[in-house]
Amino acid sequence: MSRMRFIQFYSISAIILLSIVLNSCSTAGGNRYFGSTKFPKDNVLRYISGAEPESLDPQISSGQPEARIYTALYDGLVEFDPKTLQPIPSIAENWEISPGVDEFIFHLRKNARWSDGAPLTANDFVYSLRRGFAPETTSRTASLGYFVKYAEAFNGNQVFIRRGDKFITENDVAEKPADAPVPPPFGPETDFHKFLHAPARLTLDGDTLKRAQAVEPNQKLKEFFKFTAADFKNAPALAAKIKNGGDPLSQYLAANMPADALACAAAADCSDAARQAFADGLNKATDAASFFTQDWFAGLTLAEPAKKLGDVVAAENKKRADANKKIDDEIAQLTDDAKKAEKEKTKKKPLGKLFYANRFVLEQSFPDELAPVEAVPVKGEDIGVEALDDYTLRITLRQPAPFFLGLLTHQFFRPVPRQAVEKWGKEWVRPEHIVTCGSFKVKEYRPYDKLVVERDPNNWDAANVHLDGIEFYPVEEQATTLNLYKAGAVDAFLNHSVPASWIDEVRQYKDEYMNLPENATSYYSFNVRKPPFDNPKIRQAFSLSIDRVALSQFRKITKPLYHITPSGIFPDYDRAMDKVGEEIRQEKKLTPEEWDKQQKQFNPELARKFLNDNGFPVNKAGDGFECPSFPTDKVVLLFNTTESNRQIAEFIQAQWKQNLGITVPLNNMEFKTFLPFRNSLQYQGLALSLWSGDYMDPYTFLSLHYGEQNDGGAGFHDPKYDKMLDDANAELDPQKRNEKMARAEYYLIDQLPVIPLTINATNWMKKPYVKGMYPNPGTLFAWKFIYLEPDPAKWDTDVENLMNVSDPQVENQLRALKSTMTK
Amino acid sequence: MIIPMALLVITLTWALVRIAPGNFYTQEKKLPPAVEENIKKKYGLDKPWYQQYGIMMWNVVRGDFGSSLKYEGQTVNEIIWRHFPYSATIGILAYVLALLIGLTAGVIASLKQNSIFDYGSTSLAMLGLSVPNFVLGPLLVLVFSFWLYWLPPARWSLAGLVLPVVTLAAIYAAYIARLTRAGMLEVMRSDYIRTARAKGLDEKTVLLRHGLRGGIIPVVSFTGPALAALLAGTVVVEKVFAIPGLGNIFIQSVLNRDEPLVLGIVAFLSILIMVFNLLVDISYGFLDPRIRYE
Repeated sequence: MSRMRFIQFYSISAIILLSIVLNSCSTAGGNRYFGSTKFPKDNVLRYISGAEPESLDPQISSGQPEARIYTALYDGLVEFDPKTLQPIPSIAENWEISPGVDEFIFHLRKNARWSDGAPLTANDFVYSLRRGFAPETTSRTASLGYFVKYAEAFNGNQVFIRRGDKFITENDVAEKPADAPVPPPFGPETDFHKFLHAPARLTLDGDTLKRAQAVEPNQKLKEFFKFTAADFKNAPALAAKIKNGGDPLSQYLAANMPADALACAAAADCSDAARQAFADGLNKATDAASFFTQDWFAGLTLAEPAKKLGDVVAAENKKRADANKKIDDEIAQLTDDAKKAEKEKTKKKPLGKLFYANRFVLEQSFPDELAPVEAVPVKGEDIGVEALDDYTLRITLRQPAPFFLGLLTHQFFRPVPRQAVEKWGKEWVRPEHIVTCGSFKVKEYRPYDKLVVERDPNNWDAANVHLDGIEFYPVEEQATTLNLYKAGAVDAFLNHSVPASWIDEVRQYKDEYMNLPENATSYYSFNVRKPPFDNPKIRQAFSLSIDRVALSQFRKITKPLYHITPSGIFPDYDRAMDKVGEEIRQEKKLTPEEWDKQQKQFNPELARKFLNDNGFPVNKAGDGFECPSFPTDKVVLLFNTTESNRQIAEFIQAQWKQNLGITVPLNNMEFKTFLPFRNSLQYQGLALSLWSGDYMDPYTFLSLHYGEQNDGGAGFHDPKYDKMLDDANAELDPQKRNEKMARAEYYLIDQLPVIPLTINATNWMKKPYVKGMYPNPGTLFAWKFIYLEPDPAKWDTDVENLMNVSDPQVENQLRALKSTMTK
Repeated sequence: MIIPMALLVITLTWALVRIAPGNFYTQEKKLPPAVEENIKKKYGLDKPWYQQYGIMMWNVVRGDFGSSLKYEGQTVNEIIWRHFPYSATIGILAYVLALLIGLTAGVIASLKQNSIFDYGSTSLAMLGLSVPNFVLGPLLVLVFSFWLYWLPPARWSLAGLVLPVVTLAAIYAAYIARLTRAGMLEVMRSDYIRTARAKGLDEKTVLLRHGLRGGIIPVVSFTGPALAALLAGTVVVEKVFAIPGLGNIFIQSVLNRDEPLVLGIVAFLSILIMVFNLLVDISYGFLDPRIRYE
């Protein structure tokens, strides 16, 4: 074979290969359904669930793949409506809600059972919630349930503060004490309920040093920690010890209080006034910045907790001093004064005065003479969950939360079997030990291969579970997922799994391709704490110069997002947004066109004006623009590494270049590297965020920017915004609440801590014979509604929007379940 | 030698996992600081690093890699022994297939040098080498699952073994064919083959008893480590065909920052590879009379 023939050989094989590949794209076009569509032999649904589940324990993991599995294995108080995701009765037959929307009483059905046959009662829910919030459980979703009274304090190892027989309440230390009357009891009154209904107790960090740091700046709180005459168990003995000055601590105290404060040393002179003077003297000596830095401190023999605290403080101060010394060295090398000043700001102050820590040392050093301010750990028994009897459960919240019922569908609130957890410890989830309470129970588990579940005959609703079982396959590769589906080896697969290159092909199969708006958004968060994006006008300029319609067309399966909450998911809220928007338009005296233009948020002209007005003039340069003064070396657009994230970033980079003349550099990181980098605000400029709502209420999006520590990724915090949301949640009328939230949202859009980009869409497939499985906004399934339809005449055909198709079987089942609500 | 090497590898891996940002509990939704502290306390991550290293090493030396951080309630040893057989099955089958095809093709090509067989098998070998398995795999799926409907496109089953095994074998078969051809060509021209022929041995004996033994030495030194790599699981093929093998788990454990599992698999693989290299060294002695161990 000559060289020519060699080349011929290869070109021919290349052409054959290419034609194979190209051919594959056109073969399926003629069929009604995608690939092989054969009704399965068994009445078992085969579902690709994504990543291998971390654990079958519903309270630990926060993962999406697991969530689908948990809903099959565990019933909750309430279940999702298969279409709307609103809560419907499950183990709770019906419920009552207190007038203040902060207490819920659930009436449980009497025939609920575990898969081992044991009855499932209100006590199981009490146990499960206490376990879920217990610090040693290390649940990663527990924070969802912090609305339950004292749950956050219990989960975070916090303590109540007791002086004598009285606990300090939040009202005691609030700047403006609330004088709301205690509401009448909701449901039967019990001792525990009295405790829950009493004014909220103050909770502080369980760590002594952190507690001391929290006490120091709050004068009102500090007062509660001051020594009083009542604190002396034995004033004369203590005064005598200090006066005699046997140890360095006593010497220090004696030297730092007025001499007459120690009059109590002689028991006969220890009048009430003398005791008070002694207490004042102790306060004076203890409230001194120098306490922990005394030379004598190192040589002091202290009881264990005080010694440890002293060590921690000393170590922390040394660490800070060392860090500052390093900064000093760096400053010495700098020449630029401005940079020097900037560096100077990064220095850390020493811990300084910590009155409560000092008092703690005294309490520990003189245990027989001084009564401590007691720190009482918050226990599981303190959280707002109470079994009134075996079949009645009361949950008390710390604040009104109209969305709480919807939150209860979440896996965290589903019960775990005390009998198995206590017997087997963390191994209770192994297939040989596991006990569940859902429509299905574990039959076979082969990690990374399949999890097979079968209908649980012990389940209270087993008669209405249509499938004999479900096989969950942990497959993550999108192409493999689609292959299995196309070959008819699976009946449905998880959301976001059709590869981008296949979307155009599969979207022709409308009966199978599920493409509807999702309870999820994508946005770029600004680091609002670093210039230049600390200026809201600059932030708006960057948002105004993005054409979102074009972006969504480019992305194919998303819709433009103009606000914080996705539209089309919460219809009532959408109406409230329109109404409030109109009010604001009139307040601002804008014409409808102007308002509309502002809302569409694509207005490059205005964007350039904002930049011009804020010190970054944009000039015309040829066909485009340039903005030479914008510090592109100080901003980066950061995203986690995926192909689609890169495409979006490049698209938006091009828009800024075109409309503002600014080229923002791109950077990408592996997911687990990216998350802590973004969340700790180390990034400069912008970072991608995705948010899937935790429950079906706009608050799950609005709360992203609520409070000092939030999930928004922007570092944004505005007390005014927090206040607006608090007010909204205290509003009991749903419509007024929506309007108040809408006000807050418009306020947030003015501040614009993020660039809203897209409302995400579901992107998965199911075979036409799978019924009762809907592309709802969370892609969450109430598995007992799902059935396989053997009659091809009844398969999904020519479906435009499956959510609008009525299925009598599903609706009857839903109606029957809901009928208990009015009992 | 193997043990200290393995310990060194473990130490390096441990350091790398530690340097990588993120944790096994890193998630989209930020954890409250108190919860993060609880997690650190529960898994001993709040101790100074040298203590953590000491504890880890002490456990490793005793052969106890502890429990997976990600998959609560499963021990590392259990996970490795559960998933190694999947990888090993596919690996051994692919290895045997590659040897059969590669040796046959190589020998034929060398015997009929410059014939159509030679060009054909050399070309196929070039193709096998230059088509990566993430291309070959899907291509085979297309033909055998979607055109012919003969074989399932993925997941573990008897019929499902065929495609991953062929995909995996292709590149090794190609390599072995080339090595065999080259080795055989060289050996068949050597003096001792001429001597064997001169003795009047028939061609079959010359080829199989004398030629092949010398000709496949390069193949042996290649296939030793290759077998270890095949047994250990191959990430791409296991991903494409959704095989629950060790390679798949290994990648996932790194992405999950599941430190005990990463260390366990690294230790297991490094020992596996070192043992196979040792076996290869020993087998030289049996194949080539010129190599003898004292």
